[in-house]
Amino acid sequence: MSLTPVAETGAATTVAPVTDRRRARRRAAWRRRRFVLLLMSPWIIGFSVFFGYPLVFTAYLSFTHYDLLSPPRWIGIANYQYLFHQDPQVWGAVKNTLWIIAIAVPLQVLSAFGIALMVARARRGIGMFRTVFYLPALAPPVAATLGFVYLLNPATGPVNVVLRHLGLNGPLWFQSPGWSKPSLVLLGIWGVGNVMIIFLAAILDVPKHLYESAELDGAGPLQQLRWVTIPTISPVILFSIVIGVIAGLQYFTQAYVAADIASGQASQAGDQTVNNYGYPEGSTLFYPVLLYEQGFRHFNMGYASALAMLLLGVAFAVTLFIIVNSRKWVHYATPEG
Amino acid sequence: MKRVAIGLALTLVLCAAAAGAVAKTNALAGTSSAKATTLTVWVGWSQRELKEFKKITSEYDAKHSDVNIKVVGGINDDKIIAAIRSGKGPDVVSSFTSANVGNYCSSGGWIDLSPLMKKDHVSANLFPKTSQYYTQYKGKRCALPFLADVYGLYYNKTLFRKAGIKSPPKTISELTKDAKKLTQRKGGTIKVAGYDPFFGQYSGNAPDMTTYAPLYGAKWTDSGGNSALSKDPQWSKFLRWEKGLVDWYGYDNLVRFKGGLADEFSSSNGFEIGKLAMMMDGEWRVAFIHAEHPNLNYGTAPMPVDDAHPELYGAGYVNGTIIGIPKGVKHKDQAWALVKYLTTNSHPLAKFSNGIRNVPTTKASLNSHEIKPDAHFKTFLKIFANPHSATSPITAVGNAYGTLVQAFAVKWQAGHVKTLSDGLKKLDKDIDNQLKQAGKGVP
Amino acid sequence: MSSASVPVARELVRRKPPASVRRRRFLLGVANHSLLIVTAALFIAPFVFIALTALMTNDQALSSHLWPHPFRWQNFIDVFHRSPLWRWTLNTLIYSGLATLGLLISSIPVAYALSRMRWRGRNAVFMVVLIALMLPPQVSVIPLYVMWAKLNLVGTLWPLIIPNWLGDAFSIFLLRQFMLTIPQEYLDAARVDGCGEFRILTTVVLRLAKPGIAAVALFSILYTFNDFFLPLLYTIDAPNKWVVSIGLEQFRSLHQVQWNLTMAATLLVMAPVIVLFFLAQKAFVEGVTLTGVKG
Repeated sequence: MSLTPVAETGAATTVAPVTDRRRARRRAAWRRRRFVLLLMSPWIIGFSVFFGYPLVFTAYLSFTHYDLLSPPRWIGIANYQYLFHQDPQVWGAVKNTLWIIAIAVPLQVLSAFGIALMVARARRGIGMFRTVFYLPALAPPVAATLGFVYLLNPATGPVNVVLRHLGLNGPLWFQSPGWSKPSLVLLGIWGVGNVMIIFLAAILDVPKHLYESAELDGAGPLQQLRWVTIPTISPVILFSIVIGVIAGLQYFTQAYVAADIASGQASQAGDQTVNNYGYPEGSTLFYPVLLYEQGFRHFNMGYASALAMLLLGVAFAVTLFIIVNSRKWVHYATPEG
Repeated sequence: MKRVAIGLALTLVLCAAAAGAVAKTNALAGTSSAKATTLTVWVGWSQRELKEFKKITSEYDAKHSDVNIKVVGGINDDKIIAAIRSGKGPDVVSSFTSANVGNYCSSGGWIDLSPLMKKDHVSANLFPKTSQYYTQYKGKRCALPFLADVYGLYYNKTLFRKAGIKSPPKTISELTKDAKKLTQRKGGTIKVAGYDPFFGQYSGNAPDMTTYAPLYGAKWTDSGGNSALSKDPQWSKFLRWEKGLVDWYGYDNLVRFKGGLADEFSSSNGFEIGKLAMMMDGEWRVAFIHAEHPNLNYGTAPMPVDDAHPELYGAGYVNGTIIGIPKGVKHKDQAWALVKYLTTNSHPLAKFSNGIRNVPTTKASLNSHEIKPDAHFKTFLKIFANPHSATSPITAVGNAYGTLVQAFAVKWQAGHVKTLSDGLKKLDKDIDNQLKQAGKGVP
Repeated sequence: MSSASVPVARELVRRKPPASVRRRRFLLGVANHSLLIVTAALFIAPFVFIALTALMTNDQALSSHLWPHPFRWQNFIDVFHRSPLWRWTLNTLIYSGLATLGLLISSIPVAYALSRMRWRGRNAVFMVVLIALMLPPQVSVIPLYVMWAKLNLVGTLWPLIIPNWLGDAFSIFLLRQFMLTIPQEYLDAARVDGCGEFRILTTVVLRLAKPGIAAVALFSILYTFNDFFLPLLYTIDAPNKWVVSIGLEQFRSLHQVQWNLTMAATLLVMAPVIVLFFLAQKAFVEGVTLTGVKG
């Protein structure tokens, strides 16, 4: 604490030390605030430039026609009218993105959880199994997608060849509009390793005495799972659902690469003069892919901004929903840090 | 908290102001300079074809000491637009997608060449009518044609002899008959396809459905300028034929067949290795076969046409490479001199045409004695000259309507369109909407 | 409840469960283990098939044969001859290295301010960081592209690197969670010793937060290595600036789809990350667990 200064004048010896102390404390607080500002400065600049400004400008651009070669031209709500009433692709894209979130996320969470359960129960070689299931998650998305498109080639890919040996006629996988999204889901499940590891750690962390008390109460393994394991690891379950949904709203790379490779068209310049997005038949046209196509292929930047605003609205709603409800769903054993 | 909030707000305002200032900056207008300048030329060709182009430019380079030409190959339209936008564009640029000229001209991305042409007395009539059409939009000429592409029929003479077919088909029904005769299957798998009508198979540089339009005389727009795919019955006639043949092969079988075919521009191209007995392809294939499979016994002919319109025989789909000068060019006069040379002088046109077997685009160069005769290539020269040959409409959205068309075609052949007429009506509506959205109508 | 029944529970646990229960447990264990092995095999299978294809000739890769005849190890060398894989790797290293460095330098102070310093508005700012984390990048991508284009930086790696030098939401989040676990006593002891705030950060906090920092660095390297969208936006028209992810995707169109070479290239691209994993296994697993447990 600060030392009381020796009073210069005789009078007001009791008042001066108090104001000095107050002043010193204020100065210290001001210095601390300045230090905080210094610490936070990179983020403040970064947030404004790379987050705040783009959001504002995107909103502005969504009311313009902008093709990057001439200045933006104000057209009012025409972009939104096109989006909601006339764009033949946008509602397909919305449906595709919702599909991938509704189907892929639960399947991935279930797979990660299931595999983690199995690995946790294994007596020997937990480390080895953990490695085996984690490795595919390390594969770069482009490489993994390329591999899967090749593996699932309907005529000559190993998967269909093996199926043929087993007497089954394999589906057309990435070449069929009905099977392309399931193929992407398979790709996603192949890569659940990182979520699986989190589940594994959480499962192994469940206190043994909880299981013992449950067994005492006559609970079989299934009931133990339902009443002990799942509630205890519910924060992890919520976490994996949340990152799954967030990833689903941004799903781009695998869809783009798969459509591009599966459509198999290569012109000389290595460019697509024919449309490959969403191949086949728009089944892999997810919302972020449509946004990219409109903004950076057809250069309808104004319209793409309108698409971005819609995505922002949905993502924001989902984020708010998650934050508001997270406490309700999760069963915390200890208070949050 | 307040201070942080004020700080945040200030930074936001500053950034917005800065962005506004930056957005108002204009690109420098092009000026000419007198010293030895480096002209950057961007083209779409790569590998062998790029080498041929470089031969032409090095000739020009040698003759003109005041310029130094730097060629960059493998360019596509996105790179062009990206470069123009960021102001780092080349001096001369060329594109395979002639349909995008509507985009380039209406947005000003490629500069208007008419004043330069007038100054040097270059008339647009030097070029064939079709090439004139796909290098301008609404009267604004922002590109010149630089070798054209023509689509015709390639057929494998050895397989023809084996199947007992004497001459290439001239009508669609003959094509169907021959295709079925030439197809070889093993069980359910297709080993050799007589003629693969599958949209999305090989397609050169045009969406497949459009390449059949001249063979049926199908019109893209009606008198009002609106999309006419549902109004002109020729489109439905063509689509029904296509689906009929696809179903004969079996849709799934064709998908599997496509998966087992090598890449279109590889040396294991399906036609070149005998897996496709007949194929519709561009005239450039002649050069590819010459370089990769010179012993292939094949022939070329115009594509078969609708039985009801035998007078159309000899026509084909045409588009081509376009060349122009991007906005923000730094050496306009020298760039124009090079463009003028490349597009109007018969020598580079003929020499380059010999090299990559594309069709020369001036009336003079078509008859130039420098053209090396080639029986296979002659077919395409004839198709190019045919008055019924046509190209796709030039619109303000560039090639974007082709996206919608192909999406529909692919759905149709898979049997996912319930009623053809309803589907085409919706396609017309979508195309019209897309053009309206672009702020301009269909030309 | 538990304390009252502990003595009873201990007695019960000591007794061996009846034979039927033991048998059931054994059978369940066997079933579990076999299912585990089958699933593990399914997960490894893609790698195996990709590797086998990488060793085939092009025509074999397009046929239904599963086993290469002969083994063409040459393919891996061909990949380097046919494509500038070295340049792509160099670009990736530049991107990864500079981005990770900047990320650490800018995010650690922010995380510290958000976790260990008390100031008004701290929780509000953290909420903003969280929200920024959850929104898709596509919503901000268009104006940023325009900005970089006007600054003439499209076609370079700078639009990818520079944002990382101004803080990254995910790293801030993770580091903050980690720093929250640092006991206050260490910091107070340092303050009493007369350390200025800045020195506390650089000496005490950095050392104590090392596992968190290692995890964040690892994630950043992984993320930048796998990044496809941003390089696609900014460097697709500048082939000499392509990173590995773009190069691999374009590989098939550069050299006319040769599946055998493409699979060989795919393996080569997967290899560094897998090697890195085996070298830093502990850090990886701890890092991943960290995200889940603290998230």
